[in-house]
Amino acid sequence: MPVRVLIVEDNVLLAEGLALLLRTEGHEVIGTVDTAEAFLGAVDEHRPDIAVVDVRLPPTFSDEGVRAAVEVRRRHPGQPILVLSQYVERTYATELLAGGGGGIGYLLKDRVGRVSEFVDALRRVAGGGTAMDPEVISQLLVRHGRHPVDSLSPREREVLALMAEGRSNGDIATRLTVTERSVHKHVGNIFLKLGLPPSDGGHRRVLAVLSYLSQ
Amino acid sequence: MGGIRRRAGRAVRATRHLILSLLLVPLCVLALLQFLAALLLSVTFVGLLLLPYAARVNRGVAGLARRLASRQLDRPVTARYGPRSGVLNRARLTLNDPMTWRDAGWLALHLPAGVALPALALGLWAGLGFDLSLPFWWWAPLPEHTINVTGIAIDSWFRVITVVPIHFAAFTAVALWAIPWLATADAHLSRLILATPERVRLAERVAELTETRAAALDAHGAELRRIERDLHDGAQARLVSIAMRLGIAERMMATDPDKAAELVSEARQSTEETMTELRGIIRGMYPPILADRGLSGAVAALAAGCPVPVTTATDGVGRLPAAVEAAAYFVVAEALTNVAKHSGASSASVRLDEADGRLSIVIIDDGRGAADEIGGTGLAGIRRRATAFDGRTDLASPPGGPTTLTVELPCR
Repeated sequence: MPVRVLIVEDNVLLAEGLALLLRTEGHEVIGTVDTAEAFLGAVDEHRPDIAVVDVRLPPTFSDEGVRAAVEVRRRHPGQPILVLSQYVERTYATELLAGGGGGIGYLLKDRVGRVSEFVDALRRVAGGGTAMDPEVISQLLVRHGRHPVDSLSPREREVLALMAEGRSNGDIATRLTVTERSVHKHVGNIFLKLGLPPSDGGHRRVLAVLSYLSQ
Repeated sequence: MGGIRRRAGRAVRATRHLILSLLLVPLCVLALLQFLAALLLSVTFVGLLLLPYAARVNRGVAGLARRLASRQLDRPVTARYGPRSGVLNRARLTLNDPMTWRDAGWLALHLPAGVALPALALGLWAGLGFDLSLPFWWWAPLPEHTINVTGIAIDSWFRVITVVPIHFAAFTAVALWAIPWLATADAHLSRLILATPERVRLAERVAELTETRAAALDAHGAELRRIERDLHDGAQARLVSIAMRLGIAERMMATDPDKAAELVSEARQSTEETMTELRGIIRGMYPPILADRGLSGAVAALAAGCPVPVTTATDGVGRLPAAVEAAAYFVVAEALTNVAKHSGASSASVRLDEADGRLSIVIIDDGRGAADEIGGTGLAGIRRRATAFDGRTDLASPPGGPTTLTVELPCR
């Protein structure tokens, strides 16, 4: 089923490329806007399935995109938003996740080139899931001083990172070439070691992990 | 003998100093009188307007004294006067400037000192002259008067031959030592009062450096932001779009090879544009030609690329710190852009010289002149760059030309 996408990007080159990519993949681009204000208006008007938002927007080209995304989520809780940026900051990830609920993605723009993965992430977020850039996760995993994360085995850390990106157990199993059962076991161990209540899967556990990491 | 000759030479120079110093005394009297009159008058509006001019006269006389003192002491005796601008403000600034009062104080002090010190020196010379002349006239009948030299009556040839030479020798020794001392004392007195004290000079220097440091930080920050913006909006965005096009092409290869080929070709074109853009950004950070050829080669390249014929003279410059070379390069680049765009010149010259740890850049064009510093962003940019390096910028551009831009940058 095609996803109705709103593109919020001021760089014409990128906006066009993105629209081309999404149309080629069979999705519907319902509009392209280039300011935070127009973004708010367009969401009010069209209620897109997902908005793909650049972090830097006019007039100050700093973090308007993040602030606008937070505002949109305040007005329309659960509105799926995929934030794209040329660099990622854990601070922004934390702000985007702070409102709770799923339907949030935060990816490096570079990832767009891997079309199938990008479209996957887009669908996941549009469906209320989560997509966090591995770069964000590795930033979140960098800890100073002793931390329960240190007690995880290397394999468990890999699983934790993939889980935090918003991937399903099946997906994780494929990527690590292990069985889904062993992934399930790792997840259980991770939750135990970090002292998190066991969670069934889906975006709730992702949020639990992310909010734990971004504390 | 050589020692005595040198001492004698010094005494003669000292005497010249003291005589000139004495000649300043009448000028001091006149200057003081007009300054006091202006001070008294400054209870009225007109007097206030006159005061800066009266102070200016004092400054002129004090300037002469500074020149004398620096020649005698063989070191610069200079003063830094505060700024004077505006009609009413000028009076206030004059009154507030410590140099105004130093000048006036020196004028007053020079009245006694400028008479006494030269008088002592001239007295010593007169004493020597007296001794030398004694043999010619001691016998002359002077009624009720015997000639005395340090208490000894000169009343026989024997005494003339014995006492007078001894006295002359002793007196000469004293004079050759004392006269230079007097001149130096006079010069020191002038320097003490008329030279801006080292403390004030240092404080001003600190204020100046603080300012240029702030300018340097600003310039550096602006530069970093510009580079970040250029990379983010330009090269990085282009790379992302290339990745996108290649990504789509990858997916389309099987289903729509023609479309895929089109996307790949677009991506290739985009990489070329990205390279061009990166080259531009790198040139803006640190021109590669500077790294390859040094400042002389880079300036020659700039001159060759300028639509107006430019001659260069850069022999006096070796390798300098990279930051200075880059700043100098951009100064020349911006100046030549100005020449090409605005001056209407038919020829120009660029001269670089390095002396005393300063690099001087002089750019002259034979254009129409009247270069406008406020209007032209190029000149403001040049000035900003120079300020950031604690350098100086001077622009002389009379209507009708020629225009001379001088920029000095500390480089050691």
